[in-house]
Amino acid sequence: MERSDVRSLYLLAAFLVCAYAMPFLVGAWAGTVRLDERWLGNLATVVVGGIMQGGVYAMFALGLTLIFGVMRIINAAHGEMVMMGAYLTWVAFFYLGVDPLLSIVLTLPIAFVFGVVVQKLLLDAAVGAPELTGLLITFGLGLAMIYTAELIFTTDFRTIPYAPGTVQLTSAIAVGQNRVISFVLAVAISTAVYLFLKLSRLGKAVRATALNAEVAMVCGIDVRRIYLITTGLAAALAVAGGALVSIQFGFNPETGVLYTLQAFAIIVLGGRGHYVGALIGGLMLAVLENLVSLMVPNGTAMVELAAYGLMISVLLIRPGGLMGVKEG
Amino acid sequence: MKTAAILAFAGALAALFVLGVGTGWAGHRPNNEVLVGGAISQTGQYAEPAGRQVYSIKLWVDEVNARGGLLGHTIVLRLLDDKSDIQTSIKLYEKLITEDKVDLLLAPYSSGITEAVANVNERYKMPFLAYGASSTPIWEKGRRYIFNIVAVAEDYQKGAVHLARQIGVTKAAIIGQDSLFPRQAGKGAKDWCKKLGIDVVLEENYPTKQTDFTALLQKIKAADAEAVFSNSYFADSAAQLRQMRELNLNFKLYSSTIGPSLPNFPEQLGATAEYVLGFSQWEPLPKVLGHPGMQEYIERYEKRFGEKPNYHAGGAYGALQVTEAALKKVGSFDNEKLRDALATTEVQTIYGRYKVDARGMNSHEGLTFQVLRGQRRVVWPEKWAETRAELPTPEWSKR
Repeated sequence: MERSDVRSLYLLAAFLVCAYAMPFLVGAWAGTVRLDERWLGNLATVVVGGIMQGGVYAMFALGLTLIFGVMRIINAAHGEMVMMGAYLTWVAFFYLGVDPLLSIVLTLPIAFVFGVVVQKLLLDAAVGAPELTGLLITFGLGLAMIYTAELIFTTDFRTIPYAPGTVQLTSAIAVGQNRVISFVLAVAISTAVYLFLKLSRLGKAVRATALNAEVAMVCGIDVRRIYLITTGLAAALAVAGGALVSIQFGFNPETGVLYTLQAFAIIVLGGRGHYVGALIGGLMLAVLENLVSLMVPNGTAMVELAAYGLMISVLLIRPGGLMGVKEG
Repeated sequence: MKTAAILAFAGALAALFVLGVGTGWAGHRPNNEVLVGGAISQTGQYAEPAGRQVYSIKLWVDEVNARGGLLGHTIVLRLLDDKSDIQTSIKLYEKLITEDKVDLLLAPYSSGITEAVANVNERYKMPFLAYGASSTPIWEKGRRYIFNIVAVAEDYQKGAVHLARQIGVTKAAIIGQDSLFPRQAGKGAKDWCKKLGIDVVLEENYPTKQTDFTALLQKIKAADAEAVFSNSYFADSAAQLRQMRELNLNFKLYSSTIGPSLPNFPEQLGATAEYVLGFSQWEPLPKVLGHPGMQEYIERYEKRFGEKPNYHAGGAYGALQVTEAALKKVGSFDNEKLRDALATTEVQTIYGRYKVDARGMNSHEGLTFQVLRGQRRVVWPEKWAETRAELPTPEWSKR
């Protein structure tokens, strides 16, 4: 590690301590921090809730960072793929009566094929082209997906009433059933993808392509096939994320945009193209948002300010993001 | 030469006639048409409520054309999509007025967009009757060319606060999305709480895109609030209710401004939507409300769109009935005269009575309903109540 790198790490650590202490300080000053049992219960609930939320966000981000890492394309249609997953799950639930978790078995292959088709028809043209090309192509794809969804489903909001109950961790800490299910599933799927990338032959080929496509090609890796698999995998991750969205939140064809933004913020924070960074970034954002909301007076109005403030500050201190990935 | 000159003169006269100079308004449409235009959110976050208004607009246009048109002119409808975006809407209204030269303007949807567009039509002195904006400040800036038909945002929680008082609530929280309409509704709720002696222990806004309310709900509980007045739309009110259930937080009363009034709210949320209070400007209940023509309108709407009209649809239709009545009074498409007619006319519509005050605001009375066994039932005001409100809300474990 170079010296400047080490210094930026220390600076980052100091900054993060300050950032997470901030809501507590403001809360103490405003009198919202009480340190009694009830308040500690609230704090714990909020942190647990943030972790649950963060796990799901991280899963969206993983798909986005995968495509970026391998092809240097920012997939602006990522959120729409999440939205597609939510609708597929919704249709399976309301029309076919399939359990939302079970339906993942059905939707993931569909999503993978969709990703492969998108890669063949659209993204192949954008690999190696200026970064704007990929952004524009995927942006167009996203709009096409939004309007197709509006044609089929109208703009009405949907959601799935699934596992609405509560899980009482202790007498003071409660968390939603659907959140626990979502979190467990998100962690399982993310871990599976991570292990696939780390351990399997194909996964290693994906990582090799991400490091240097030309050298990978020279080593006998079929780079075009790797691209197909990458986009298929990213689409599957997005659609699985959509299934989790559908049982937690309301969605309509337009909500995808929100998830693209969120995922983008997370990968920038975590380090572009870095898988573990995406996980850490997701958790960090969600927990900070909840802390600010709980302790700062009228703090819920400021969660976006806090989230993007965190992102910008981290980038200033360490331009590569938390995990400090070097460009190029 | 002389014949040629006469012919030319006759030709010019004919041309003038065709161009519509003879009909007494600045219109110049071929085929005796009148261009009615507006921009309304057909995509974006407001697409759902605004979409219902689009249905009513289309229904009205076809009905008027079947009746022989507006003042004898066939309506050509130019309905653009502002994508729920203020800037887009401003541009589209500029275009409708200056390029397309519409003869009659229709209103956009949402308080925020209407507030912005109100500056555009004011500049060109073209009036419209707003059916998608209920924030009072729009009418408190001395504007002359904008009128409203719906109940104001400040009264959206009026019924809920009264019901809270009836069941002995003394502490309440007021939360809402951080935009114009929810803020106004929040202000109104606060005023009503004050009038009825309910202590507001927490007041907080959240960003438009907020999905996680865990912390906010914990905070509300920590402040010992017994009732939650939420000034919210679909996604946020749905998330709040779900997370209340997940966290097992019980309140005596939860009321939301917009979410529960959307047609698919009870069905999409299932048991989680039960006992929730919502506000409605209007309900398709001719026997309860008794406004003239309601039954027929509801039947025609349902036949065409396969669902009963909600209050967004009813408001748009009522506004168009008022506009039609005002135009008949004026007898032409003179926008200045139309403005005066809109300011003075008193009309009974399917939506209720229309008669504006000096600001241009109608004193429309809304109603509060409760979701009971998957149905919306009117519970307030008493003269319209279909059933007694079932409050306080049972605990989650008993729902």
